[in-house]
Amino acid sequence: MAGLKKFSMESSSNKLKLENEEIAIEVKDWNLYYGSKQALKGISMKLPENRVTAFIGPSGCGKSTLLRCFNRMNDLIDSVSVEGEILLHDEDVYSKHMDVSALRRRVGMVFQKPNPFPKSIFENVCYGLRLQNVRDKQVLNETVEWALRGANLWEEVKDRLDDNALSLSGGQQQRLCIARAIAIKPEVLLLDEPTSALDPISTLAVEELIFELKKEFTILIVTHNMQQAARVSDYTAFMYMGDMVEYTDTDSLFTNPKLKQTEDYISGRYG
Amino acid sequence: MQKKEFSSHISNQLNRNLEELFNHILEMGGMVENQLDMALSALGNSDIKIAKEVVRFDKSINQAEMEIDRLCIRVLARQQPTASDLRLILATIRIAIDLERMGDEICKLAKLVIKFHKNEPCVCANYAGYAELVDITTRSREMLKTTLNAFARVSAEDAMSILDQEEVVDNVYAKACKDVTEQFKKNPENVECLLEVMTALRASERLSDHALNIMESIIYLVQGKDVRNMDQERLTKFLEKL
Repeated sequence: MAGLKKFSMESSSNKLKLENEEIAIEVKDWNLYYGSKQALKGISMKLPENRVTAFIGPSGCGKSTLLRCFNRMNDLIDSVSVEGEILLHDEDVYSKHMDVSALRRRVGMVFQKPNPFPKSIFENVCYGLRLQNVRDKQVLNETVEWALRGANLWEEVKDRLDDNALSLSGGQQQRLCIARAIAIKPEVLLLDEPTSALDPISTLAVEELIFELKKEFTILIVTHNMQQAARVSDYTAFMYMGDMVEYTDTDSLFTNPKLKQTEDYISGRYG
Repeated sequence: MQKKEFSSHISNQLNRNLEELFNHILEMGGMVENQLDMALSALGNSDIKIAKEVVRFDKSINQAEMEIDRLCIRVLARQQPTASDLRLILATIRIAIDLERMGDEICKLAKLVIKFHKNEPCVCANYAGYAELVDITTRSREMLKTTLNAFARVSAEDAMSILDQEEVVDNVYAKACKDVTEQFKKNPENVECLLEVMTALRASERLSDHALNIMESIIYLVQGKDVRNMDQERLTKFLEKL
């Protein structure tokens, strides 16, 4: 991995043309520090609505850190300080007037390891709605079915909604977590390595789900698996050591990347 | 193997792309069939207008090949196909190359009509080898139709018949070459026209070679066996076992 350091850090992150796309999130000259260590360096990019954008790069490149900026998950870490702007539909995510709980309802997140609550499948999915004080049984039932169908899990669990969610397989649990995340109808869904703990078949099922979900949500996915980024995303951003090295449409990035550094990474020549 | 296997992946995107590949090849094959029909019509009626149309049409075939290449690259880069899916990509690339080359050979036939028209069309069409030229082209047309049907059905069942037809074409070609060579000696003043006929004969014979290549690609797709280097005897034995 150290070999990458020898390349000059050209950045093409601003060259992507998104003329026909609505923009969900705009990042402007974004810097993030863990104490004195800079983890993100002047990131600027526009993330299109109803598209899947993948972030790839070696461990420690800052892709998960960047993802966690979109719903201010990094606020939970004391040593973090940030500079720059992140706009969610033109609204400043880091404004002091921003209600962080409301932000996290608008920007849902699914983590690497499935983390269902030790409750029934039904209660897991409607957990967010209950927090919003939704009491209407019909609304809850309809939303649970909608979310489970959306997460491509309904047919497998419709007769066992009262079963404990922990009795589901790993792949089913992850799809349940996706159902839980979409049940409150967020605008953006953040997926942080959502399939790294799953077997290949469950992975393909989740990937297919991601492809379907983009019709309703803007999806940002961090993945270690470059092939996964190639399969599921419309746009791909390659990051290295806190820099946005290349950000372009996925077809171009995987067939004809503009920068040698990107080419070397995606073709496994980073020795 | 059945075609529906290519649309049974968990990934609908992969299903759609492979279906698209099938359709692109069949569409390109249809274009070459159409071009070949026009060339046959031009040859049979010494019709210069149709012959020029055949040459113009070649551009569309070249574009179709490029489109298939683009789609194959996309599927390879983004969906990492394996096993029969991977063989489909490779077979598709090869078939597209053969179809594109068939288009080039068909143009040579059309150019013969154009050149003859400038001379004395009726007389030239009566030269040795011309009837065989039409015969070989007609047979190649049938071979192409058979291979495209085989591709559409993902079946190597008709491979033996293609092999037999190819042998017939080779025999007709050998006889035609002999006749034309004799005419070179008897009527050296006609050398220009005879050379044109010879070139066209070679082109029409190549059409059947490409049809055979396509069938070999289909065998690779269906059986996973590369039969390109097999001699006639081994290939026959292999096909009899299918």
